[in-house]
Amino acid sequence: MTPSDLDAPPDAGKAEATAPEQNRKSAAPPKGKPIIELVNVTKTYVRGKEPLTVLDGLNLTIEEGAFEALMGPSGSGKSTLLNLIAGLDRPTSGKAVVAGNDIGSMSDGALAKFRARHIGFIFQSYNLMPVLTAVENVELPLLLTKLPAAERRKRAQTALRVVGLEDRMDHYPRQLSGGQEQRVAIARAIVTDPTILVCDEPTGDLDRKSADDILALLTKLNTDFKKTILMVTHDPAAAERATITRHLNKGKLE
Amino acid sequence: MVPIKYNVRNLVVRKRTTAAAAFGLALVVFVFACALMLGEGITKTLGRSASHDVVVVMRKGSDTEMVSSIEDKHVNLVLAHAEQVGASKKPVGVGEVLVVIHLDKLGTSGVSNVTVRGVPEDALAFRPTVKIVEGRAPNPGSDEVIVGRAIKGRFKGLQIGETFELKKNRPMKVVGVFSDEGSSYESEVWADVHAVRQAFGRPGSVSSVRVRLDSPSKFDAFKALVEGDRQLGLLAMRETDYVEKQSEATAIMLKILGGIIAFFFAIGAMIGATITMNAQVAGRTREIGTLRALGFSKTSILFSFLLESLVLALAGGAFGAIAAIAMKAVKITMINMNTWSEIVFGFEPTPEIIVSALVLSAVMGLFGGFLPAVRAARVSPVEAMRG
Repeated sequence: MTPSDLDAPPDAGKAEATAPEQNRKSAAPPKGKPIIELVNVTKTYVRGKEPLTVLDGLNLTIEEGAFEALMGPSGSGKSTLLNLIAGLDRPTSGKAVVAGNDIGSMSDGALAKFRARHIGFIFQSYNLMPVLTAVENVELPLLLTKLPAAERRKRAQTALRVVGLEDRMDHYPRQLSGGQEQRVAIARAIVTDPTILVCDEPTGDLDRKSADDILALLTKLNTDFKKTILMVTHDPAAAERATITRHLNKGKLE
Repeated sequence: MVPIKYNVRNLVVRKRTTAAAAFGLALVVFVFACALMLGEGITKTLGRSASHDVVVVMRKGSDTEMVSSIEDKHVNLVLAHAEQVGASKKPVGVGEVLVVIHLDKLGTSGVSNVTVRGVPEDALAFRPTVKIVEGRAPNPGSDEVIVGRAIKGRFKGLQIGETFELKKNRPMKVVGVFSDEGSSYESEVWADVHAVRQAFGRPGSVSSVRVRLDSPSKFDAFKALVEGDRQLGLLAMRETDYVEKQSEATAIMLKILGGIIAFFFAIGAMIGATITMNAQVAGRTREIGTLRALGFSKTSILFSFLLESLVLALAGGAFGAIAAIAMKAVKITMINMNTWSEIVFGFEPTPEIIVSALVLSAVMGLFGGFLPAVRAARVSPVEAMRG
């Protein structure tokens, strides 16, 4: 799928044939090829003189097309794990292979390219550029591609239509509600057609109604557009939407 | 690359800090451009007094007309030499006396030097660019004078109809005002050559002789004739070279002085730019982290913040340059270091000066913004995840 296809999902018909949303929790996990493989991954920080092990010999495989939630108490290592998978950080030891790339062996520059190509980020605080309009924010990741300006703008507009914000394209973030801002962030995350969507508490700053809308949108992206989604959340309602929920505690998966 | 509108809008959003830093940069550019414009102004003002085909003859060993003296009988010889090599326009030349008098300045309590040029009656014919703009030309052989447009009304007694003392008990009456395309002659008083010689006890000699040759190419032959006659003991210089030599020291001094002031101001402005850009980086750590997370490289972040600093500096620089250009309307008075009398000149903007000023602002922006840009480039993409 390319971003220009976003408004016309090619597998829309197939998506309808999959299990209804409310039954997905009980459905068998998708049997795709592994897209994320972590083997004996450890992440240790040195705070002062004391080493602090945040991830401790962690093994994890996530298959293509999965929608997984990662839960756990504060300090359990959720964000660190998400950072590693997203290529924001490298493991201290072990092997982390994401979309065929060995994160631990990549340079900063290679990781930046990896993120631009494979990862779509959805942050708890949306992280939009306040001085750019909605469509300019969505267009940002496309500036790293060789697409001509007109094509970039077209794709950004398409992505905004997918998230239902076609009438807010020229609004600045301050002119949008929290839910709308997160939709813009989702449009920005999907505009480059990344391999994996990485969501860090995507509903953490939203009211229930907006949170449900965002979760429905993520579900749609997973079912209709076959996006692999990894979501860190404290919200049980959010975790409900995922096909698999994993619990992390003291750096280990339970 | 991060779009430039991201940087420009960030500068616009943070209006106050941007304006403060831009003001500092504008001030430096203003001072720098003004100093260069003054140097240019004095060069041009003195330069306008010079013609390519005019030769100044002075006593050998004299740097300026003020200290030169040529006997009347030698004046005729000089004019004859000119006619010999080719000087067909009439008058061929003029012998003039240059003296300095003290006059009370108007508007202040001080006195200042004024150059008085004793000129023969055909001085106006010799210099066709000189025009009487008010009043009339003086009667030949009288105690009437005309004053240059630039000093009219700046000294007591230099208005039309007023009198001033050339020497004690030697009143001179102002009957006209002349212009000369903004040249340094406009800072002089022109009196009758005989009256000046009499008043200053210099009968039978002049300070210098100017001759107008038919072509600048005849200069070498004329110089050879004048300087070859060892009994005369005179030297001949193209008027343009003479004037350039006169203005060189002052212009260089102004430019160096301005450069030194601008240098120290520039250090302050660069610190200001650094502080502003540092604040921009500190306030946008999560934004920068997000850009890094989205895949923008360290280099593109570095470049983006350098560009932002450059835009800030150029905006300040443009304001400074515009303010400097506006100074064109201002005339200032300075002591001419060769005649020790007042000369009025203006700020002369040139495209080269404006470009230099903008280049200076760009350099300040890049230097001032470098460390903050490095700091921005070092922001970890993990910062995007921090709430």
